[in-house]
Amino acid sequence: MAEAAAKRKTLLEEFMAGCKKGFYIGVENIMPAMVLAYALILFLNLTGLMDLIATAVAPVMALFGLPGGAIVALISAFFAKAAGAATAASLYAEGIINAAQATILFPATITMGTLVGHFARCVLTSGANPKHHALLLAIPIIDALLSMIIVRVILNLMGISC
Amino acid sequence: MAEKDVATTVDEKDYEHHLTWRGWLSFIVIALSFSGVLKDMGPLSAFDFTVLVGKFGKISDTFTFIGKGGIGASEGFMFALTLMPTVILALGFVRAVESQGALLAAERVIRPFLRPLMGLPGYVGLALISSFTTTDVGAVITRDLVEEGKITDDERTIFVAYQYAASGTLANTINCGAPLMPISLLSFGIIFMVEIIVKIIGANIVRFYLMFRRKKAGGAA
Repeated sequence: MAEAAAKRKTLLEEFMAGCKKGFYIGVENIMPAMVLAYALILFLNLTGLMDLIATAVAPVMALFGLPGGAIVALISAFFAKAAGAATAASLYAEGIINAAQATILFPATITMGTLVGHFARCVLTSGANPKHHALLLAIPIIDALLSMIIVRVILNLMGISC
Repeated sequence: MAEKDVATTVDEKDYEHHLTWRGWLSFIVIALSFSGVLKDMGPLSAFDFTVLVGKFGKISDTFTFIGKGGIGASEGFMFALTLMPTVILALGFVRAVESQGALLAAERVIRPFLRPLMGLPGYVGLALISSFTTTDVGAVITRDLVEEGKITDDERTIFVAYQYAASGTLANTINCGAPLMPISLLSFGIIFMVEIIVKIIGANIVRFYLMFRRKKAGGAA
């Protein structure tokens, strides 16, 4: 056994190990996020909260070619990347956003996702100068807003209006 | 909500430590496969990632097995099931090419651009490449680089600004972004590039802010 472990894995074994990891990520990370996101959107729709939130933020979101309801995906992303992307997918399924708008949200949910969790794991772990912590915290959000503008421009260049 | 992202921790891997032709080949194959450029190229489309993921069969010619009109947690569960093939295949590929040294090839490509793009020395190349697939490794290497005196405190701040946004970019775009992959109008490769571009812009915001501060401090002294 020990001998086998010491030997380098073959390409096929590496591939299979990666696939296996993909399966567990699906079960352990993606599925809980999807169940949460879909249940949350249903809750917001049934209670009418979705309309309230959407109306309130509509003018700001319009700058990025998004309807007000899309803010829910960005709020979810703040807590976890997976939740943000899953929420965007369920907004698409509900017909609140279209495919182009889901595409605009895609890099944004990843870029600003898990803001607090990764602050600890990236910024604190690297020992970055505390003087600049506030600036560093703002950077992923700025990046996310930029990514939405860039994707919108790309889609417009491809002749997709959004 | 879970604050832990996937694939951002390291498991023991015994990968290629020297860049060989296999590293270059695997790097080129994965870059082409994820970019989507081969999608419509006849037999070459066999190398395209989304083509290889394929699609589910239809039930009575209309719907896939998740059906139509599902809502709430049940629909979320079913949708998650449809994403499994993508994630499983993607991680299999990534791990296979990683084991061949594809990341070392990527580092070789990126190294010369570090100084002009972000004002960072070549030392950070490895940490930068690690940050494609993990959050923690890049951060730990960054701390070590400062402690060894290879990069300055300001360079660390710039580099962390790059790493922090969309950290573990490749892994997290595949894993966390899986629900959006079938919906997205742009290929995975383009979404990934957009993320890298805004990460570099973010790092430059910090770079010029620090430069401005230094100039101001220098002028006052």
